[in-house]
Amino acid sequence: MNTSDPAPPGTTQPPPLTQPVPEPLAGPFSILEALLREPNRVWHAFRGDEAGRVIAVLIFATAVCAALYGVVIGSFSKGPQLWAAPVKVTLGLFFSVIICLPSLYIFASLGGARTRLVEVIGLTAGLITQNTLLLVGFAPVAWIFSESTDSIAWMGAMHLAFWFVSCAFGFRLFLAGFEHLNARHLGGIRVWLAMFIVVVLQMSTALRPLIGTSEDFLPKEKRFFLKHWFHQMDEGK
Amino acid sequence: MTSQTAKDDGNPAPLGALLAGEPEAVARDLGRPALGTLGRHSTVIVIGAGLFGASIGLWRDPVQALYTAVKLPLILLLCATGNALLNGIIGAMLGLKLTFRQSFLAILMSFSIASTILGSVSPLLFFYVWNMTPFDPAHRTAEGYSGLMVLAVAAIAFAGIASNIRLVGWLDRANASRVLSLRVLFCWLAGNLVLGSQLSWILRPFFGSPNLDVQFVRADAFQGNFFQALWIAVRTVVDR
Repeated sequence: MNTSDPAPPGTTQPPPLTQPVPEPLAGPFSILEALLREPNRVWHAFRGDEAGRVIAVLIFATAVCAALYGVVIGSFSKGPQLWAAPVKVTLGLFFSVIICLPSLYIFASLGGARTRLVEVIGLTAGLITQNTLLLVGFAPVAWIFSESTDSIAWMGAMHLAFWFVSCAFGFRLFLAGFEHLNARHLGGIRVWLAMFIVVVLQMSTALRPLIGTSEDFLPKEKRFFLKHWFHQMDEGK
Repeated sequence: MTSQTAKDDGNPAPLGALLAGEPEAVARDLGRPALGTLGRHSTVIVIGAGLFGASIGLWRDPVQALYTAVKLPLILLLCATGNALLNGIIGAMLGLKLTFRQSFLAILMSFSIASTILGSVSPLLFFYVWNMTPFDPAHRTAEGYSGLMVLAVAAIAFAGIASNIRLVGWLDRANASRVLSLRVLFCWLAGNLVLGSQLSWILRPFFGSPNLDVQFVRADAFQGNFFQALWIAVRTVVDR
């Protein structure tokens, strides 16, 4: 007999649960939809048996979305940048997350969140998934500008603006996720988010060019992102 | 803390619970056999501070990375051990309700928390070093060297503050008096500052100066002391 069937009239009903258990997430699209509409269902999934599957879906979706937006970034220069930019954007994003994850786990614990590593990985996967989903939403606009603009500096500024907007939404979701994990103080998580932004910005400089062209896949000269930006602006491109 | 009943199933408290400052976790670790807790937290210090040391020494040379990875945990372990008796005595004199063993382990655990934080940010420092202009042996210059020092000092300061906030929380729990906890913490910090700074002086260099060769300790390691050098530095600034 299915235990979830309604009990026949006259039998004792079990006491109601204090918090309704969200419905399990079925397919990949329902996971992505839940991330945007009902993120609590996704956070809840990280605590259950389906955590691995949900995280795998989020990571796959991030890879696809980052690659798609990478193609749009590469469409400015076309040629080899059409494959180089997506590869760099996708791998750079994942590498940034990997090197930032240990400190996130520690900062979350310092903030009082009783969390397992899988939940932290899940929240971060949710952050970058929402981030890249929004970027894909911006992709048509970015593509139009790619086709009609010849200034690398302007295109760089526009991609950064889109990324910051998607970050703003993603960070709100991320902080809500840590509140869901009973973190008492979110100050450490906010500091981590600032560090994450800096790391991603530096990664975009370390993996340049993303927008322009170069004979080399990776730059030979090491440069910090602010210095690189000023350099680009000075060149007036 | 000694009177506290902790749920002790024989296993050490999860590191996450210690980081979160959960009193039951601290009580559980302090209540375990000393050797087990000592071994566990020493291992965390060796790994965490070792990784951090490697990341700050790497900009200069891989050998410097190895040296600093050995020296940084060594300073923390020597500092905790060297001041164990002094800290225990001071704690007892000020009325701290912890045994000598528990005082020593509490300090070691706070060092372990600091090392965990330092270890967790070491991938970021590795990334910073990867983005630095490589050290030029011919001209003995490296762009970004000062930035690396600032970042490392900021990380150490953050780890030190966070670990001491946890430590004072444990002391509060043991004493039920914030004033006493702060007094004990102040004395412990003062003792650890004196020993720790001199150990750092002897075991320098950590970053590896661009103008000097890579070495485990300097030839003049046992000449002078940290505070003497600090005094000379202050005089130099004031006399300008």
